[in-house]
Amino acid sequence: MSKPFFTVYCLIIYAFLLAPIAVVVIASFNAGAFLTFPPQGLSFRWYLVFFNNEVFMRAIRTSLWIATLTMVISGIIGTMAAMFYVTHAGKLKETVRVAMLAPLLLPEVLTAISLLFFVYSVGLGTQNLVGMIVGHVLITLPFVFINVSASMESYDPAWSLAAQSLGAGRFTRFRRIMLPLIKPGVIGGCLFAFIISFDVFTISFMLKGVGMSTLPIQLFDYLRTNFTPEAAAVSTCSIVLTMAVVVISEKVLGLRIHRF
Amino acid sequence: MIVPPRKRFGPLLLIAPAAILLGVFLVLPYLNIVVMSFRMPGQGTPYGPGFTLGNYGKFFSDFFYIQQVINTLWIGFLTTFICLVLGYPVAWQLARGASTFRALGYALVLSPLLVGIVIRSYGWTILLGNNGIINRTLTGWGLIDGPLPLMYNALGIIIALVHVFLPFMILPIMSAIQGIDPSLEAAARSLGASKVTSFRRITLPLSLPGIQAGCILVFVLSLSAYVTPSLIGGLRVKTMAVTVVDALIDTFQWPFGSALALMLSVTGAIFVVIFGRLTVMKWKA
Repeated sequence: MSKPFFTVYCLIIYAFLLAPIAVVVIASFNAGAFLTFPPQGLSFRWYLVFFNNEVFMRAIRTSLWIATLTMVISGIIGTMAAMFYVTHAGKLKETVRVAMLAPLLLPEVLTAISLLFFVYSVGLGTQNLVGMIVGHVLITLPFVFINVSASMESYDPAWSLAAQSLGAGRFTRFRRIMLPLIKPGVIGGCLFAFIISFDVFTISFMLKGVGMSTLPIQLFDYLRTNFTPEAAAVSTCSIVLTMAVVVISEKVLGLRIHRF
Repeated sequence: MIVPPRKRFGPLLLIAPAAILLGVFLVLPYLNIVVMSFRMPGQGTPYGPGFTLGNYGKFFSDFFYIQQVINTLWIGFLTTFICLVLGYPVAWQLARGASTFRALGYALVLSPLLVGIVIRSYGWTILLGNNGIINRTLTGWGLIDGPLPLMYNALGIIIALVHVFLPFMILPIMSAIQGIDPSLEAAARSLGASKVTSFRRITLPLSLPGIQAGCILVFVLSLSAYVTPSLIGGLRVKTMAVTVVDALIDTFQWPFGSALALMLSVTGAIFVVIFGRLTVMKWKA
């Protein structure tokens, strides 16, 4: 293939990747009552409708609350597992890695179904958030694990030993030696866990209780029957929120988030 | 003073929470699906007492479900193939192209992954609908008289699935190509191989592991996709994952839903294994 042709080909693919997202953002500023393209004039009308829609606002609060809890729990468990993986796993290293990545490799819909049955069998039900948060922690755990273990690659156990010989206890060693070194990985992993939890659909959909919706579920329900640009306004806010998290972590905090 | 056994068991405490979480909430529930698929259907409850083979009998005796598995597999194959064809050149460019282009391209490939699946599928409904952008534009230009059927059919589902899963094809192939020593290609060229020959004999075979990983990932993801087929396919075209979720959520047929889910997983797994074997043979040959 000749070079210009090749470049154009790649640009078309990039356009294809961005098209549906760009369309949603543009549609959200539509002044008309229906989704038309090009928009009938620009306005923030649908944003006002959205901000005054208690159903969507409640869903956003639920999503933010679940994502925060998920981030904290997943962050702690994932960081501990990554510490074990790098410093103590020994022969089990590959097994630990595969097990930690399993939630990412298994089909989400199957994980969601299996969890739904399980929370009912053990009497947990879906009346509280426990099932949903467990699901979110499962699905976000691999991202924390990948980021923290990547940040520990350059970690030398001798540093910890040196601190120990100088009289530092277990906790001091963690706080003064390990934590500063792995901090970028922990923060990156946690932020990514937050984003994934905020966006995840299938797990939430299966494990949601009555009258309890996250933003993606609310949006999905809305889209089944409605076609107004309000959904586009909701989507755009959600996109801006996740992009803001990524930009802040990468540009302001100077972190490199590992997604794979 | 007795030395506490911390030294030996201490590190295990680090992995314990993750191990318990995965064991209790991933391994046990997956085993539970298998058990569930043999349970009796319940009256007014998700499942009844006792066990039966009836759920599988219902699957095999009703051609509707078998046809649906075939359709789902077919959609999976096409999605995977199109992703491979569209994604390979992009992966190559990300791995070997000019560096200014590379960083931007990488960001462009990754950014769709940060947007929720519901929103991306919604974007496609705006584009593909009968009143969508594509149909309106084509009608406006006078190229078509009525709207093209782009949504509520397999075509729409495949277009949207390709979009959603393309990054999962590009990224593994990109890292496979990055792992190939560029001097191998240079050597082939210096020995008189044309660009095409050097690609066919050197780059392509050496990137096969990436192709294999990408294809398996995309295939499995498209078989189990729920949001995209249900928003784009509407009520008219249903993939297996949509039927399974409906059976569980709407009609509460847990045992039968489990049997359906397992049948889809098993057929999917068989194809993945066959594909894995074929590609391994190919790159050993």
